[in-house]
Parts: sequence; structure tokens; C-alpha cells
Amino acid sequence: MNKSSRTVMTFSGGIHPLGDGKSLSNKMAVVPAPLLDKYFVLLSENAGKPPQPVVQKGDKVRKYQLLAAADGFVSANLHSPTSGEVIDIRKVPGPMGLPAVAIEIAADGEDAGEPPFEPITDWQNADPEMLKKRVAEAGLVGMGGASFPTHVKLSPPPEKKVDTLILNGAECEPYLTADHRLMLELPEKVVRGAAILAKILQVKRAGIGVEINKSDAIDALNKFGSRYNVEIVPLKVRYPQGSEKQLINAITGRKVRSGGLPMDAGCVVQNVATAAALSDAVTEGIPLIERIVTVTGEVVVEPGNFRAKIGTPAIELVKLAGGVTEEPGKLIFGGPMMGFAQKSFEVPIAKNTSGILLLPTKVSLNYATTGCIRCGRCVQGCPMKLMPCLLSTAIEADRFDLAAQNHVMDCMECGSCAYVCPDHRPLVQNIRRAKAELRKQAAKGN
Amino acid sequence: MKYLELTIGAVLVNNFVLSRFLGICPFLGVSKRLDTALGMGSAVTVVMALASCITSLIANYLLQFSICGHEINLGFLRVLMFILVIAALVQLLEIMLQKLSPVLYRALGIYLPLITTNCAVLGAATINAESARNVFDSTLFGAFSGVGFALALVLFSSLREKLELAAPPKAFEGTPLALVTAGILAMAFSGFAGLC
Amino acid sequence: MENTTVLIAAVVLMCLLGAALGAVIGIFVRIFKVKSDLLADFALELLPGANCGGCGYAGCADFAKALAAGKANPSGCPVSSAEQIAAISSALGVDAGQMERKCAVVLCRCDIGEVRHMNYNGVQDCAAAHLVGGGPQECHYGCLGLGTCARKCPFGAIEIIGMVAVVHRELCVGCGKCVAACPRGVIKLVPADAEYHVYCNSPKKGAVKRQFCKAGCIGCRKCERSAPGKFVINGFLSQVNYDAGEYPDEKVAAAFTCPVGGLLDVESRIAAARAKAEEVKNK
Repeated sequence: MNKSSRTVMTFSGGIHPLGDGKSLSNKMAVVPAPLLDKYFVLLSENAGKPPQPVVQKGDKVRKYQLLAAADGFVSANLHSPTSGEVIDIRKVPGPMGLPAVAIEIAADGEDAGEPPFEPITDWQNADPEMLKKRVAEAGLVGMGGASFPTHVKLSPPPEKKVDTLILNGAECEPYLTADHRLMLELPEKVVRGAAILAKILQVKRAGIGVEINKSDAIDALNKFGSRYNVEIVPLKVRYPQGSEKQLINAITGRKVRSGGLPMDAGCVVQNVATAAALSDAVTEGIPLIERIVTVTGEVVVEPGNFRAKIGTPAIELVKLAGGVTEEPGKLIFGGPMMGFAQKSFEVPIAKNTSGILLLPTKVSLNYATTGCIRCGRCVQGCPMKLMPCLLSTAIEADRFDLAAQNHVMDCMECGSCAYVCPDHRPLVQNIRRAKAELRKQAAKGN
Repeated sequence: MKYLELTIGAVLVNNFVLSRFLGICPFLGVSKRLDTALGMGSAVTVVMALASCITSLIANYLLQFSICGHEINLGFLRVLMFILVIAALVQLLEIMLQKLSPVLYRALGIYLPLITTNCAVLGAATINAESARNVFDSTLFGAFSGVGFALALVLFSSLREKLELAAPPKAFEGTPLALVTAGILAMAFSGFAGLC
Repeated sequence: MENTTVLIAAVVLMCLLGAALGAVIGIFVRIFKVKSDLLADFALELLPGANCGGCGYAGCADFAKALAAGKANPSGCPVSSAEQIAAISSALGVDAGQMERKCAVVLCRCDIGEVRHMNYNGVQDCAAAHLVGGGPQECHYGCLGLGTCARKCPFGAIEIIGMVAVVHRELCVGCGKCVAACPRGVIKLVPADAEYHVYCNSPKKGAVKRQFCKAGCIGCRKCERSAPGKFVINGFLSQVNYDAGEYPDEKVAAAFTCPVGGLLDVESRIAAARAKAEEVKNK
């Protein structure tokens, strides 16, 4: 924002995924998903501690009712997506591959409930602490993927001077269009959410970064930008533009130090979907129980965007999109670059599931890899300025110390290196292994 | 100009390891890690400088003298005396290292006493004696020959640290690949020929 | 005359030089005196030098130091034979002590059980595969079969047969490197005398296991009832009671029929794995 906001900003490094697949679903308006019989609300929705259930098997619940209460500071509330009965609290296939505890709710079909919180219409003059309390009450988490509890991010320690709020509307992951449709269809909510966040953080500067391939969304947001004193910053189309550190670099020119957090550069970054949910929580008093999910991929009959309740099994959303044309090779929650492959169609969506991607078998084939030829493409592509080729070869030789020396912990697993590797080497998986190993060693050392 | 020739020549043009092919044993033995290579390199440099100094003193003043009008030439004792001096120096170095840097002492292991038989050290002393250099020139030559040895060792160990991460064909694993690398490095150094 | 002078001069010169250098070294030794641990050096010479770390120390040198300081017992070395340990003990003048010899065993029969595998096309390493949603198999306790343990074994005692690892007892010294390397914890160090093992590692309910594995222990307790004290039941998993001192033998195995055939001696287990791998290959 130190330059004119007309300039198109970006960071250095990164890649341009070919055929980003966004055209499959970016023209499809958001369709509300019809009410289902059953929902599986996952307890471990957020990064940090899972919340503790406050309902029991057999309890009748209303829509918006608290199902599980935050356990500690880094934890988030969980609310019922609909009215009905708690059938069971049991393990279901989870989004990380392992079974995860979920509250199973049988809907009664009425979908009835009262907003549990008092709407704060005059939020411009409200106490920031009260607004922050609302963020925690409404169970907001980062909806871009990390699902980090939002109220924690909004509570920087006093020694960190935060002066800038950035909303991430880059949506740089190929295929995903959920944020795009949100910004296009509900621009005021997004901008208002940004203004509320700025109010909570008491910062003067607030901006929304949007990649220029979503020019219609930029136009829509611009209509409200000046009213709420929020800048709309067009960004170059480049992956991973939507990563916190790259976004900060592109918009403010600042750099987050190695191992640091955005607040070290005086910034707080939130997703646009989180901001829209916050706007609802403040002005209407409703907690986070639904989100927009993109169901897409070459094998989906009618890719589209759906407003789905948290806890909807993936299979139901795939059915809504008309099913599949052929047996998919991979089911991924999130985008193709950073999403997680799923073992089962029964996995329910969580607060951070921005997309359900079904890839055909031919693109998820086994690639035989030979060896690194040191072409250096991964080094050019790495937005964190690491050397993935060196890291990967070191890790394959079990030299985790060498990987640590070369800052493997700064890797954010964006997948740029693996995408550009001409040998299709599993660079990111190796790096993830090293990070797990080093964390284990650090834990042992303490 | 003479000194430039002496020093540059010792380090690059007539590098002991890579163009004279002396001292190959520690060159291959202690080049797996950069830090031990640095330790070995500096140890050899110290020994070479001291040995060159003392041996040239011996060669110039002890091996040729006149007694009661007789010119006595003890040139045939050269190698014997040089080895004695070098062995003593290495012993001294070993005793000091054991006290001052036990880590390096353990890392160098058997290669430390083997500096005694490092032909590069004896080679430097012999070359000095044969070119009839004075004490200062000899010491300078010895010291820079040591630097050349250290340079070769450091370069080579850095290469080997990288090679350790590579997955070469089974037949090349370990020493064969190290020897191939040494050969290529030597070829690269032959490019310095004619520099001075 | 001339030759004699040269000869005398040479001898005198060499003697003088030798004496001078010897004196300098003598002085240096005094100045830089190091307390060397002769006992540790001696013990190190007797140790096998495998540097496997099985004793719990960082290599043989560290273990030798601990031995000399009286902090460790020679029997802590899993690689040395009984005679070698006796030799070290007598040399150090300590009692060898009794340490049970250990041996690693992979407690899994996922090959026989035909555990379902997901399509996994990532890094061929157990630790890496385990990080991807808990591994490609439906069972999160069994052997992944990608051979991380076999690569870590300094003695080449682990073989991957088909998709499962087996330990060859005659090569295993019980250093425990494989146990540390296995992300699943399916490899256990057990007394080397124990012939029979229950080949399952999942504490899940029998019905849950049966959904994806035909060979998993269902926790029916038949073994425990047949030979009380020789088995321990952990949740829904029966395991040989390795603390008992006496382990199940042929008689115990013959006295009842394990419904899943999970109680096997080591040799039969390896033979079964080979047969299964052959069968899968031919398919």
C-alpha cells in the first residue's frame, strides 16, 4: 500500500500452474446445499486443542446451539449446523487420514434455531474487546486452510506493534473458486468483516489482496472499499500469492524473518471467508456453521460452488455436483497444491474445507523418479528462497542436520518445487518428513 | 616477484596433492568432513612450515662443514635426518593437539601420526634441499605448500560432502567415486600450469 | 682417514640431533600432560567396534569410557559374544552380570491378513508414508513393509518379504535400531529365548480388525486360558508375557487352536511370509 493501489503487486519466486482449472466453476453461482438427514461435526476442527463436547448422546439440539466449548485459549467453539438430535459421538473417517471424533447429528428437518448472540449493529463504536469476544464465541477459525482460531491471531502480544490488516482474497490455488464467488456475491460482508477486524486490531490500514484474474470480484469489492475505508489491492496471478508471508511481501514490501510470524512484520492476515463469517457473527449474531465449498475437477459432471453446512459428508456434495463421469483417481480436500488426499468419500467437510477436488486417474499416476539433476528449477520456484533440491537429497541420505542448517523449517509446503520438478521428485513429502523428524528431535531434546 | 612465484607456485601451479601427487593418503583419508579436513590441513601446514625451516637449517649448516681443514659432506644423511625431524615435529604436534583440541585429535585419529610418513612433508624438505634454497625461502615454500595441501583437502572434502548425498551406481560408491573426483580436481588444477 | 672422519661425524651428528629432539619432546610432554584413561582405551580395543549404539551409548568409545568409569556393565554390549564379554569383564575386573539377550521381532501378519492398501505413490520410506494420513494401510499398527528398518539395521538382519518385514534371529543382536526407526512401533525387542510370538500389534477391537485384516488377534483369550501366565491381554490384543521367564513352547502352541493362527514360532512365520509372497507374485 506504499504504492498506488492501481499497481499490480507480487512477490518473487513462485510458479504459474498451467491450466488452473478455475474456469470449471468460477462462473457458477453459489447454490445452498439442501438439508441432509445427518451431519458429522468434527471435533478437531481447529489447529490447537480440540473443543470439549457439551452435548450428550440423545440430546435435542437447536440450530446454532453450542455443541462443544473451546478447551483453552488456542481452541474454538463448535455449533450445531441444524436442529435435531445428537445420535452419537464417535470416530468417523477424518480429513487427515486418521479416524477423528465427530458429533453425529440427525436433522429433524426444521432447521430451526435462534441466533445465540446479540447483534452488534453499531460495531463502529463498539468496544474492540467485546468484538474480539464475539470472534471467540462464534467459533471462528482461519477458513483458508490452516483453521487456526481467529481470536488467537487477533490477540498479538503487546510488544508486537501491528499496524496493518490484510485480507487474503488471492485464492491462488488452482481449481478453487469459493473465495472468488464469495467476494463477487457478498462483497459488502467481506469488506465489512475487514473493517471489523481492523477495528478489533485498532489498525489504520486494512487491505484486501485479490489476484487480477478475479477482476469482477475486484470491481465488486471496490464499490464498498471506500465506504469502510478498506483498500482493494490487485495482485499478480502467481502461486502461492495467497500465502501469508508472500502476501505481506507483495502488499507492504515487508519481509517476515525466518521462523517468524506475520505479526513480526506488523501484519495480521485473515482469509476473506473468515471476514465474511465475522461480519455475520457481529451484525446478525450467528456463529460459524456453514461455508462455501467448491466441488470441482475434470471428472465432476457439473462443477460448482455450494453453501454447505459444516459436517456435510463429501459424498453428498459430490452428488449435488451431479456425480462423476469416471472413477476419480484422487479425492482431495482443498486445492491440488496444498490439499489433503482423502481415503474415503465419507469424510465430512470442516470449517477449513474450501474445496473438494476430484482428479482423474491419469493425473494422479505413479511417477517413477530417477534422481535430482540439479537443474535448479525448484530453487527458482521456491517463494521462501530455499533450495528444495539440496534439502531433498540431504533428507534421502538421512541428513536431517543438514536439512535443518538449510532452513527446512521455513518451508510452508506450498508444493511449487514439486510442481516444477522435471523428474516429479516427491520434494514436499521429503521435506514434511524432515520437519516431523526435527520436531520429534526437538521434543526429545527438551 | 620471486616470492610471488614461490608462493603462488606452491599453492596452485605445483600443488603438492593435485600436480605432484604427494600426500594422497591423508588426502583421501581425512576428506569426508569439511571440519576435519580443515584441521588436517592446518596441522599439515604447521608441520610443513616448521619442517622446512628446520630441515633447511640442517641441510645448509649441519650437513656440510669443515673440520680441521677437512671438507665433510654428509649429504647422504639427508633423508634420515629429515625423517627424524619430521617425526619429532609430528610427535610434538600430537602432544599439543591432544591437550588443546581433543575433539580434533580424535577426529584426525590415525592420520595425525601418519603425517610423519606424509610424503608431501618430506617432499617439501627434499625439494628445498635440492634447489639449495636459503632458510627463509625454504620456510616460505614449506608454509605455502602446506596451504596448497590444505586448499586441495578443503576443496575435495566439500565435494565429498556433496557426493555423500548422491546416489551413484553401486560400483562407484565410496572410494572409487572419490578417486574419480580427485582426478577431475587434478585436471582442473592443471589449468594453472604456466601461471608463473 | 677421510672416511673415518665422515663416519664419526655422521654418528655424532645423528646422536646429537636425536638427543636434542628427544629432550624437546620430553619437555613438551611435561607441559601438555593429558590424563589419559588407559582402562578405557583397553576396553575399547576389546569391544567389537560396530558402533551400533545398542548399548545405549554413542558408539563403542563412549561405552568403553562408561565401562572404565564403572557406569556400565560389559554385558550391556549386545554385539559381543558371551566369551568376549567374559574377556572384557575379567580384564576390567568386574562381574559380567546377567543380561538377557534380546532379539527383535516384527509382530505383524498383514501379508497373511491381506490388509487393504490405499494407492500410495509417495516416498518409499515407512516414516514418510506414515505421515501421510497414518499410512496407506487401513491398519495403523501393522508393518508398512517399505523397509526403513531393514536399511537402518547395521547387521542386515531384517528382510522385506513381499510387503512385510521379518527379522532373522541368527543375525539380530538386539541393538534396537529398528525399534527406534519404525514409525508404527510394530517391532519389539523380546528375549532371544522366546520361540513363539503372537503376530499382531493392534489393540483395536477384534470386530474392527476383522474388517480389514484376516490375521489380526481377536482377543478371544483362548491362549491365556490354555496357558495361564504365559500371555498378557492388552485391550483386545494378546501378547506373549515376556516378563514371565518361561515362554510359550510347542506344547503350549499345540494345546489349543488360535482361531486366527497368530501364535507362531519364528521359523514358521518366515516360511509363511515367503509362501504368501510367492503366491501374490504368481497372481
